Amino acid sequence: MPQPRTEEPGTVARPRVEGAGDVPRGGARVSPGSDVADVESGELVVRARLGDSAAWGLLVDRHAPLLWAIARSCGLDDADCGDVVQTTWLRLVERIDVVRDPQAVPQWLAVTARREAVLLAGRRGREAPADPLCFTDVPRPITRNGVSGAYRFVSGTEDTALAREQIGRVGEALRTLPRRCQNLLRMLALAHSYSELAAALDIPVGSIGSARTRCLAQLRRRLAT
Amino acid sequence: MNEEPFLDELRAAFEQIDPVPKDVMAAGRSALGWREPNADLAELTDEQNRELAGARSTSGMRLLRFSAPGHTVEVEISGAGQDLALTGRLAPATVADVRLRHPNSAEQSARADETGRFALTAVPEGLVSLVFHLPDASCVVTSWIRL
Repeated sequence: MPQPRTEEPGTVARPRVEGAGDVPRGGARVSPGSDVADVESGELVVRARLGDSAAWGLLVDRHAPLLWAIARSCGLDDADCGDVVQTTWLRLVERIDVVRDPQAVPQWLAVTARREAVLLAGRRGREAPADPLCFTDVPRPITRNGVSGAYRFVSGTEDTALAREQIGRVGEALRTLPRRCQNLLRMLALAHSYSELAAALDIPVGSIGSARTRCLAQLRRRLAT
Repeated sequence: MNEEPFLDELRAAFEQIDPVPKDVMAAGRSALGWREPNADLAELTDEQNRELAGARSTSGMRLLRFSAPGHTVEVEISGAGQDLALTGRLAPATVADVRLRHPNSAEQSARADETGRFALTAVPEGLVSLVFHLPDASCVVTSWIRL
């Protein structure tokens, strides 16, 4: 069986995004107080290449949640999701010195995680996803902490009871959405650009808009009832 | 309308429902330690799976080929589970120190003989990468593969 060659970061074709550029939302979500918190991911890659482990750590913190979500969307369990995420990081590390376009790394990470997740899902003997989006309808890992709706909430200092209640409401509404919409909304909330989101979902950038509108509308309807 | 606060809520909900485990984050942060900055990367360029006649489908043999500028590495993997055998050949033929890297278990080592051949046994499944230290002080590392 021919093995698809893993492209070097920077050789992935970057879909064009119309309108206001590549960033659909505000700056990167990183912990406040960090010097490098506002540094874009491409620059973090360059710094990591020079041996800056703090920059690498920030890159991981910033993008790991999306990679995890991608693996989860392929129906993998915790151990396999962790495996996919780690494999993705190792693939970046092995070619970090030859990355030609560091700005394209976030998108490359998403593409790589998807490929690894699809391969592993296939290897696990699960049904090949009929849906090319890899949205398999396997037992609902997404709710593994809340099979009966009993979500765990971690209370923090800023975590008001009201906020927790609202998150609980959103979580309940999410659970009733079709899996495709769950995955789309999750990745929409986690991706830092449309190109990263398109890679995570493996759909053309141009078809994100309508899917996003539809899923957000479905969620709002459920929240309104 | 501004969707940003709503997306923040979504993100928070998913963080509660299905958080990335701490050990996964920690492993990612330490992944940079696997870098081999002075090595030439040999990428996987071909993979074949051969079923052994009469054997269960899970005990076939995998043939992998990795290519780096100036070097190729062929690896044959047989066995199953925690007892895999890797035999391979480095070309052009040269002696070399071979290291098998495995994030979840101890590193193993072997020596490639003057024909470039090497063998590793009792290799557990999982992610692995081979590093070759050549007599001219150059270094070749294979892309990570999942056994």
